[in-house]
Amino acid sequence: MSGKGLVDAERRRFNAIALAPSLIVLFMIAGLPAIYLVVTSLTPFQLVNPGSSTDFSSPLRNYRLLPDDPRFVNSLWVQAKLSFWGVLFQVLLGMLLALLLHTQSRVVEFARTFFLIPMVLPPIVVAIIWKLIYTPDISPLYYVAGLLNIAMPSLTSSVDFALTAIIIADTWEWLPFTFLMVLAALQTIPDEFSEAALVDGANRLQVFFYITLPFITPILVISGMFRLIDSVKAFPLVFLLTGGGPGSVTEVTNYYAYLLAFDFNEIGYSSAVTIVMLLLVVAVSLGVVWMGRRREAMA
Amino acid sequence: MTKKNSSDKSAGLSRRTLLRAGAATIGAAAFPMPVIAQTKPFAGVTLRGASFQHRFFTLLQSYIPEFEAQTGMKVDLQLSAFPVYNQQANLELSSGGSAFDFVNVTFILAARWVAAGLLANLDEFTGDPNLTPAEWKPKDFVEGAQVPYRDAKGATYGYSWEGGAMVMGLSRMDLMEKKGLKIPKTFAELQEVCAAINGTDGVTGLVSFQLHHWCLPPYIQGFGGNIFRNPPTDIMPALNSPEAVQAVEFYANLLKNYAPKGVLTYTEDQARQALLTGRSNIFIHSSAWITPILMSGDSKVKDTSRVVRMPAGPVRDFPAANSQGLGIPKNAKNKKAAWEFIKWALSPEISMRLVKEHGHSSVCRRSVIESEEYRKLNTVNGQDLGALYLEVLGLPAKGENYMAYRTVKEFPIVGDVLNKAFEQVATGQLPAQAAMNAAQEQAIANMRRAGTAL
Repeated sequence: MSGKGLVDAERRRFNAIALAPSLIVLFMIAGLPAIYLVVTSLTPFQLVNPGSSTDFSSPLRNYRLLPDDPRFVNSLWVQAKLSFWGVLFQVLLGMLLALLLHTQSRVVEFARTFFLIPMVLPPIVVAIIWKLIYTPDISPLYYVAGLLNIAMPSLTSSVDFALTAIIIADTWEWLPFTFLMVLAALQTIPDEFSEAALVDGANRLQVFFYITLPFITPILVISGMFRLIDSVKAFPLVFLLTGGGPGSVTEVTNYYAYLLAFDFNEIGYSSAVTIVMLLLVVAVSLGVVWMGRRREAMA
Repeated sequence: MTKKNSSDKSAGLSRRTLLRAGAATIGAAAFPMPVIAQTKPFAGVTLRGASFQHRFFTLLQSYIPEFEAQTGMKVDLQLSAFPVYNQQANLELSSGGSAFDFVNVTFILAARWVAAGLLANLDEFTGDPNLTPAEWKPKDFVEGAQVPYRDAKGATYGYSWEGGAMVMGLSRMDLMEKKGLKIPKTFAELQEVCAAINGTDGVTGLVSFQLHHWCLPPYIQGFGGNIFRNPPTDIMPALNSPEAVQAVEFYANLLKNYAPKGVLTYTEDQARQALLTGRSNIFIHSSAWITPILMSGDSKVKDTSRVVRMPAGPVRDFPAANSQGLGIPKNAKNKKAAWEFIKWALSPEISMRLVKEHGHSSVCRRSVIESEEYRKLNTVNGQDLGALYLEVLGLPAKGENYMAYRTVKEFPIVGDVLNKAFEQVATGQLPAQAAMNAAQEQAIANMRRAGTAL
């Protein structure tokens, strides 16, 4: 082996040794529970039947049952709707808000800070705030509607509005995230580009579509992806506002997995549901990343 | 040498007596533990218990120092929110843990825990006169409240500290009298009264809350149906029987037409507030949630309220009754100490003190509920609430146990399906028959998936 090869080998060994503690900790924190989840999903584990945790006689039983479980299938559909609309509104409104507040002014700076509040609140507090807003007999929203003689349905127990109610609350909570990301991106765009375009006779709309939007698109994709992954965790809102109801209208997959594990004690089946959910999130995330790379390659 | 007579002896202390007394004092000071141990057999024991947060335990905590002083043990009682406790205890007991010496045996989990053998048989303690004196009277607990804590052979795994007896509260008798309405005694009359009152002075006909698998079964049974075919022996779900469908339709119509907006997502507390403030006229639920309209300082309707038995269906009335119990995990480390605590916490003396000193009326000892002091404290506007509570709490133990469906360990699975189906009907997603047919299929599928042989 040449001297350079020896140095490279030494460097690789040093890197491996330096990284090892972090990797071991990461494996213990994330890897082991994930492995346990996979193993559990291959058993019919029931809390009140401890022996079932080591029963591997039919390892794919839970996965075979999933397609025929209407609540599971419905929960995926509900999750898809919640994720799609939630992320869409958060990205669009966050972008619009960022464009609106992308200016130098004391008032605007104060407003920016104010808009960040929902994002830093604990999720359960957000859920309680919206519970108060959506509860007809104590809600200021319903009080005002009453004064104006507007008959409003109960949003959280209405088939037509329950999911929308959660999307609104979720958007309110996480819109600041995309707003902040886009605002940071906007502040990195050199003024020369838009100034040159304006001198050349472009209008504001053209400046936005041909200069601003291409600049902030990667950020929109990244924040959208983050929110997409996070939208799967909209548990507190569902738990507190609707309990998955009315019927199964707002029962998302992670809430169904929670019910299976903690209400029905079906740990094995719940683990299988969770694994499928995990795979779907990974697939969607990889898809988004791949699309982003493809765009970059084409650019 | 002169001899001292006996009187002299008694008059003064001899040197020998002094020496003996001194030695005894030094000995007692040097080795105090055996002497204390004779009076405090649990000295040094730390007893760990857990339950969900409830007024009973909050009140009990003020008495616990007395118990600690009597026994020498230290009680570490962990109280959590209801769902948090249930999940934690379920995991702890199911995994064979020994973190807790005593636990609350939650009503909805009792059947599963008893059937799975996760609790200690308390008959071993009550059957031993050295551990349980006769005056503790295990049979003093209202039989209906004890049903959930028995196995098929009749062995006892818990003793009830809280009874829930379903009664009907009416908050606006003034409006009813104005309209010439009487207290409804049948389902048909209930609907009439709800219809007549709904909208009057901004009052809704009735209020309820989101736990439909608690509120709905009395209607199903009132129409002649049940949750299972013949629980606990035949646990084939019976959700799509004509009676069950009729009941779902009836109860859904009540909530759709005469309850506040958003009632399907109401919590118990929201429903109670609606009753206490007179915004809703009728609420049918456990007595602990209803009697505050007559007894609570928060009640705005004390003078216009009544508390009575719930209306009857075409068959008769089937008011739900439940209880919460204290039990000992099978793998608890300090079983005897735990029993000592349960014995004390549920003793007639402590039960009576809770009633007299704090007005806590939902105890389960018959001798306390039937006592003169209890009757005086719980008679409001001429209504003997104690008698009503006892009457309803005892019903499941009379004749066939109509609450047997709640003792089936698969009930949570079926109850959840019932909840969903009811909401589909109440929100117009599906007609009652279609919703209950689907619920029946799903309940069977879910039970089979969970390993139940049907």
